[in-house]
Amino acid sequence: MNQFTAGLFLLIFLALPPVANLLESIMVVHMHMQMPLLVIAGFLMAKLVQERFPVFFENWNSNGVPGILLFIIIMVYWMIPRTMDEALTVQSVAIFKYISLPFLAGIPLRDSWKKLGDKSKNALIISFTVMFFAMGLLYIMSPEQLCNNYLIIEQITLGWGFITMAACAVVYLIYSAVVDPSDYV
Amino acid sequence: MEALKLNFQDKTNKALGINEEDALITKTYMLVAFTALLIGGTLGLLQGLNRAGLLELPVWFNYYQVLTAHGLLLVLVLTAFFTIGYFYAAMSHSLGGLLPKVRKMAWIGFGMKIVGFVMAVIPILLNQATVMFTFYPPMAASPWFYIGLVFIVLGVWMCAFGAFIQVANWRKNNKGQHLPIISYFATGVFVLLFFGSVPVAIEVLYIIPWSIGWIETINVMLARTLFWAFGHTLVNIWYLTALSAWYVVVPKIIGGRRFSDTLTRLVIILLVIMNIPGGFHHQIVDPGIAESVKYMHVFMSLAIGFPSLMTAYAMFSVFEKTARKKGGTGIFAWFKKLPWGDVRFLAPMIAMIAFIPGGAGGIVQSTNQLNQVVHNTLWVVGHFHLTVGTTVVLTFFGISYWLIPYVSKRVLTPKINKLGVITTLIWTAGMSFMAIAMHWVGLLGSPRRTSYTTYADNATALSWDPYLMFLAVGGTLLMIGVLLQVYAVVHLMFFAPKGETEFPIADVEDNASKTPMWTESWGRVVVLLLLLVAMGYVIPLVEFIGNAPPGSPPFQTW
Repeated sequence: MNQFTAGLFLLIFLALPPVANLLESIMVVHMHMQMPLLVIAGFLMAKLVQERFPVFFENWNSNGVPGILLFIIIMVYWMIPRTMDEALTVQSVAIFKYISLPFLAGIPLRDSWKKLGDKSKNALIISFTVMFFAMGLLYIMSPEQLCNNYLIIEQITLGWGFITMAACAVVYLIYSAVVDPSDYV
Repeated sequence: MEALKLNFQDKTNKALGINEEDALITKTYMLVAFTALLIGGTLGLLQGLNRAGLLELPVWFNYYQVLTAHGLLLVLVLTAFFTIGYFYAAMSHSLGGLLPKVRKMAWIGFGMKIVGFVMAVIPILLNQATVMFTFYPPMAASPWFYIGLVFIVLGVWMCAFGAFIQVANWRKNNKGQHLPIISYFATGVFVLLFFGSVPVAIEVLYIIPWSIGWIETINVMLARTLFWAFGHTLVNIWYLTALSAWYVVVPKIIGGRRFSDTLTRLVIILLVIMNIPGGFHHQIVDPGIAESVKYMHVFMSLAIGFPSLMTAYAMFSVFEKTARKKGGTGIFAWFKKLPWGDVRFLAPMIAMIAFIPGGAGGIVQSTNQLNQVVHNTLWVVGHFHLTVGTTVVLTFFGISYWLIPYVSKRVLTPKINKLGVITTLIWTAGMSFMAIAMHWVGLLGSPRRTSYTTYADNATALSWDPYLMFLAVGGTLLMIGVLLQVYAVVHLMFFAPKGETEFPIADVEDNASKTPMWTESWGRVVVLLLLLVAMGYVIPLVEFIGNAPPGSPPFQTW
């Protein structure tokens, strides 16, 4: 099975109604499992797309910045509570979710990542870490229900999901700052 | 120059065998491990006889006390001391001798574990800590029991950090090389030991003020969850230790080569990353976790089965290749070419075979519907006597027949080898009686963790008796096995003829493909491990803490 089939299979699997229902029934799983898996599906499919349309990527994403910007915009968009709510209640937004995350976030991420320098990569990870801490605090501290579809306890869970992921990113950043791999390998 | 010196050290180490100081560490750890086996095994026999209705235990040393001590001695002391002693010898052998600092840490760790253990055992003997090895709140033991556990954890951390220092030092001096495979296993085990014991440390630090009375109530579900985050990891630490012998040592003993180095390292990485959230399948009937969350955790648990299947394939592939090289033919006839008379092969081989039903039983238990049938029955006890009691322990026995002569600079004589084969067969027979009887009687409803009773001569309860008798027969055979094994260990350590025994490490195939360098990136492995822990634990923990019940005061149920 090549990467494209794997990605396509993953996308179809995630779109199956029982799978989608299960994953969307828990707020943190919806945002931190289903959505990243959709991005991964796109990431896997990207290789074939890159091979088929090399000129397109060369013209529009030669230094990786436009692609990563598109990725950031899509990711930030889906972190807003309102958009999650709409994905559950408005059919067209649900379809947009299944298209935007794999094709507008996953594919540009793969195309851009290798073109970016180490500094830009770290800057990206740092900004996402900060954003995750901020979003985590927002979801934990908010006294109001932010989504019509999810209870406050689920919102708090999501907040802690953000915080723990940000903490993992911090561990990674410290590790890569402190440990010089060339000392070992 | 430094590298040259180390390289030289490395070579002398391999030529002359382990140095005295490193050997002393392993010998001491092994002595403690097998003393624990002797005492724990004896207590096991008492329990088996009681369960069969053959023996009434005295009031001053009751069934539940015996059970607590049996569990603690065998699942904590035997396994922890064996694992650490074994991997310290492995690191000493493959990384050019232990650093003096690391040796000191191993001794400090040893002291802390022994102090902690004594602190934990005294309340058990006084019947003030009859809480089983899982010590679930709201059952509360004497605070000293928990303080003892804290010391044991600190001692384990000391040894884990010693291992990390040793490995980091070797890698700095051997740039561009892969960590020797046996030390790679050691690294995986110590990473798991450290991260797996963090939750139980948090749990115990929460229990201590509650058992003293400084805080009134405890969140029971939170404590159970923290316990199993550790408990399940511990299970896989034993498993990973056994795997190290299967992948690295057994091929050498049968005169073959190792299976793919990359696959071996991938199996270790997968086991390390996916392990900790597996703890939830021990809580499959616990309240407070949504059905959908439990369902997703079944995926997590079964994912651990994947590296096990890779292992099964790898092992049998090695066996077949080796046997065919020696002239084995046919579909199954090549089996005869394997060295069945060599205890160093026979014991781990039976261990592997036992893991086939053991693993299948594990899948039954982590599946929601099937678990309902067997939960808290003797089935579960049968399951872990197959997995820990047979797969892990027989592998440990197999290791002891070359590891102990290696550290004591003696040799395994044909006589002791024969004794080892007999021990292995007795152990296998004993465990078969015991585990099959336990599985079966568990399906018929006999509960675990219950002293013998006929429930006022209830017909169903009486129908369990014949099976329980088999359990006692098995237990008696196992006791004989324990005595023979401990005798062999003492003999190999102090009385066997002097000589050189090698630390058996198989080579990879000549045409093996190169192992990719990403396998050396432990930092990334640890970050992934933490991410998976976050994935597994954020939902239930927020639920348990956010929607917490008033909590429970301590109870002494015995």
